[in-house]
Amino acid sequence: MFKPENLPAPERSIRLRSLLQSRSKAWLLALLLGLATLLAAATLLALSGWFISAAALAGLASVGAYGFDYFRPAAIIRLCAIGRTAGRYAERLTSHYAALSLLKDLRVHSFSALAQQQHNNHHSADTLQHLVGDIDLLDQFPLKVVAPWLWACSLTLLVLLFWYLLAPPLLFAAAPCLLLALALPLLSVRHAKALALQDTDASTQRRRLLLEPLSMLTSLLLWQRWPDNISQFSVQDQACLNLQLRQQQLISRTALLQQSLLALSLLALLWQGNALVAANLLSVPLLLAAMLALWALYEVLLPLCQSFIALGLSSAARDRLNRLTDVSAPTPLNKPEPAAPFSLNVNRLSARQSGALVGPSQVSFTLQSGEVLLISGASGSGKTTLLQALANQLVFCGDITLNSLLYDEWQLSNTLAYLPQQTDLFDLTLAQNLRLAAPDATDAMLWQVLGDVALSNWAQSQPQQLDTVIGEYGAAVSGGQARRLALARLLLTQRPVLLLDEPFAGLDPATTAHMLNALLAHQRNGLLVIVSHQQLNVPHAKQLQL
Amino acid sequence: MPCGWSLKATKARTSKLTSSGQPAQQLAILLQSQRIRLNSALLLAVSASLLFILQCYLLASLFAGWLITSQQGLPVNSDQLLNSLPWLVLCLLGRPALQYWREQLSLQASQHIRSSLRVQLLAKLADAGPAKNQYGNDGSLSSKLLEQVDALDGFISRYYVQRYLVLITPLLLVAATFVYSPLAAVILLITAPLVPLFMILLGNAAATASQRQLQQLSRMSGRFLDLVRGMATLQQLQATERAGQSVANAAGRYRDSSMNVLKLAFLSSAVLEFFSALAIALLALYLGLGLLGILPWAKEVIPVPYQGALFILLLAPEFYAPLRQLGSDYHAKAQAEAAIDGLSPILQRQAWQHPGTQQLTLNSAPDIELQQLHILTAGQRQRLAPVSLSINSGGRIALQGPSGCGKSSLLHALLGFVPYQGDILINRHPLTRLERNHWQQQLGYMAQYSSIAAASIAANLRLAAPDATDQQLITALQQVELWPLIQQLPLGLNTVLGERGRGLSGGQLQRLALAQLLLRDAKVWLLDEPTAHLDGATAYRLHQLIGTLSQGKTLIIVSHQLHGLGWLDNIMRLSNPAINPAVNPVEGAQYVQA
Repeated sequence: MFKPENLPAPERSIRLRSLLQSRSKAWLLALLLGLATLLAAATLLALSGWFISAAALAGLASVGAYGFDYFRPAAIIRLCAIGRTAGRYAERLTSHYAALSLLKDLRVHSFSALAQQQHNNHHSADTLQHLVGDIDLLDQFPLKVVAPWLWACSLTLLVLLFWYLLAPPLLFAAAPCLLLALALPLLSVRHAKALALQDTDASTQRRRLLLEPLSMLTSLLLWQRWPDNISQFSVQDQACLNLQLRQQQLISRTALLQQSLLALSLLALLWQGNALVAANLLSVPLLLAAMLALWALYEVLLPLCQSFIALGLSSAARDRLNRLTDVSAPTPLNKPEPAAPFSLNVNRLSARQSGALVGPSQVSFTLQSGEVLLISGASGSGKTTLLQALANQLVFCGDITLNSLLYDEWQLSNTLAYLPQQTDLFDLTLAQNLRLAAPDATDAMLWQVLGDVALSNWAQSQPQQLDTVIGEYGAAVSGGQARRLALARLLLTQRPVLLLDEPFAGLDPATTAHMLNALLAHQRNGLLVIVSHQQLNVPHAKQLQL
Repeated sequence: MPCGWSLKATKARTSKLTSSGQPAQQLAILLQSQRIRLNSALLLAVSASLLFILQCYLLASLFAGWLITSQQGLPVNSDQLLNSLPWLVLCLLGRPALQYWREQLSLQASQHIRSSLRVQLLAKLADAGPAKNQYGNDGSLSSKLLEQVDALDGFISRYYVQRYLVLITPLLLVAATFVYSPLAAVILLITAPLVPLFMILLGNAAATASQRQLQQLSRMSGRFLDLVRGMATLQQLQATERAGQSVANAAGRYRDSSMNVLKLAFLSSAVLEFFSALAIALLALYLGLGLLGILPWAKEVIPVPYQGALFILLLAPEFYAPLRQLGSDYHAKAQAEAAIDGLSPILQRQAWQHPGTQQLTLNSAPDIELQQLHILTAGQRQRLAPVSLSINSGGRIALQGPSGCGKSSLLHALLGFVPYQGDILINRHPLTRLERNHWQQQLGYMAQYSSIAAASIAANLRLAAPDATDQQLITALQQVELWPLIQQLPLGLNTVLGERGRGLSGGQLQRLALAQLLLRDAKVWLLDEPTAHLDGATAYRLHQLIGTLSQGKTLIIVSHQLHGLGWLDNIMRLSNPAINPAVNPVEGAQYVQA
């Protein structure tokens, strides 16, 4: 639940309080500018009221036309008018600059937090989409919670002070209702937060109830099961909409009560003002100014009603973000790196992918530098799982020792190279994609590895060659090409242990032979493990059948 | 039986402030059903404005009374306050109450519109059947149905009423001002049209700029998502720091370009602020100097007496309030237009109703004959070149051809989801005369990704056959050779699978889908690349299994790979209509002996 202060928050987790700290100067400027703007608006209204009343009084006395100093109020009125406009403009620019900077910081922060996680391949695209949305929600905290409250409190204070200076009884009469109106939104805190939490859960549930039938639409239609699946979704959708409605209603009701309290405060002010004017303790123009100052507060207090919904949303977003980017204790980096020659010894290894029902069990083998291991087996027999365990990407039972030491005792990040079945190419150019592995690689080296995976002809036929953009916005590469590019990138890392999952799937025999020879040459002094359903012709290779 | 259909091409969205293009029209159509609620909300808002005018009048009279009494040195008593008190209470408490009910009505309207829009969209998608993916993958479809529909909320619940209010309220206020001072009314009227004028000028520039900024935003999110998705790879390559730098650069660039846009965008609201502040200042000076009798053109004359002056001054801020509100709600409109733009391809899908009513119950595998079957896309492009072929009862054939040649469309036509030209005859009955639901119940269909839900194995099988007994399920699982595996699991048939069948391999999932097919006892099997994502060995074994299990069924399989399909009676190659548009029907389909 929402209690950031009581949470033993991990070092890198996000707190709402600290959102303002990273760009504190920009936020401070924005808050001050906003305050000045609102003050100018209130002054403009109150001073204008006082001005025409005082002018009327002077005009009636018909002396004032000459004795009444109208230059100063007129100048202040013009100043306030300009100040209000310029202040609002500057405030918006500064606060948005600060908010955008905050989003930048948050993105970088979440990215590096995710980068420190050990096994993060369980995040679905959907989760990540939400991550982006949650980051965008966090700027609501400074913009919709902190700023409105700061402005409302300071302005209320100034108005109360103004009343006190005019006549203390005025303050005593009108202040209680005004303070109640200010504090009223606090009553909705608990409810608003609960609603925001429910909202998150209900939307997740709703998405699930839609995605599943949608993914099996045709079958469900044929089986006549679409209507009942969709009616389940509709019930959940209705629940979500009702929840949204309840949030809105909470805002509306708070606003209704707040405005009514302000109305009562206004009436109290008038009632007390009447008595003060009757007793000649207060002039009518000043009473009008007192009333108009209160009037100006309406606009300042109203945003408070929805501030707690925003708070609930951003704290829910913060919790999700922290859960997702939760970092386990970083592993110390002072372990030794293994050196050639290599000897890999696997003893009674068993592993399961999370959620999998089966996996490889009790596998044992040894492999020396220069040797090749070919793993084959039926689909579902756990070839991929075994390879992931070898790549140190999966928790396993049993022992894997490299050069007589357990995996845990080595720093392996520069030793193991693993090519999964699902590879990732990024929205970058071909060269940039390859250079992720080796930032300093020359063009010649890039062409060399492209040749190794039989893609140099393809790359040469692209109009922009190495600068061809790959991915969503660029040239599409086929699944097979993408995997070969990923392999080329892996070769650039020059790591001694190469673990490849189905590197030749969908290739013709000639290309397979070419790539296989290049790989064998590349790994002359290292270890090569290949999972393949094809029969590969490698003399002296060790075979493992799962 | 020609079933031509057409669909208007969606115009590219114009993002001008004043445009009343397609999105705006579609939004208007959506709002039709809730017009009563929305118009009542508008009525309440107008009543609130009237109450405001009354409130200003009461306060102005009250203060004028006090001012004159105290000026004349008479004792101020509370009679005047007491007299106007009931009315004042009515105004002060009535306005928030009206505002509250206005919000309630708008919210209800929004809720109804959104939930009925979802129902409508789902119906269109169900109508499209397997062709639904022309509108996006399941993830993007679900975000269209959820987020994009919800993005209409602001437009319905705020913008719609505000759009009218922005005209009505200022006119009411000007009329009230005119009673006391025509000149003040003129000041307001002169500044008012300037505001929309500036807003249009700046708004247009800002709208195009913000369009560009939106693209940038999606690029930035895209870059972020792209890199986070590939985090495992980046970690492997030890490239996370460089990638993090790239995220920082993209976000920094986005911030700087946004600031350029915002400078312009905020200018339009600054103009509003300026006019609002200027008008109040001008009015205060004019009225104040007038009350002093020192206006240059009206010396020693009081053009507007105090009560009227105060009344006008109190009204003035409210004159601009609806415009300012509209300005801040403007993004709700832009959001809604973008959303409806994304939804319009689905909404505008022209419903094709399978016309038949005849019920044809198949007791054995039927023969299927296609005569000059020809399918056009929505844009009248050729999707499937005319094809003629006949399959005997129990015949099993494969369709092959380059991607885009219409293999899947042919299956979709047989399923009854797609209109076509030419004839499909089932046991010599035209398909279009058959009742679609009844026909579909007798079909077995399997695609690249199986229809497996996050539920137990038994529940998944019972999706296809609700009344099947455990023994029937086990028999089916034995037939697809999954039972030995499932038997070993501690929970057996009640083992719960993860999302999209997580826990089983791709080949095992397709076997489970085959078990679903067997439980339906369908006489016709239509298989759309059931092994496309499987590796060669697994695909081979699945093909063999399909061969064993589909004996005695009429079967059409679309497949790129042919190994393991030796049991087929025929293989048919389709040519690509896009490559060879003027294809001769005879050449379009030729038989190749398996």
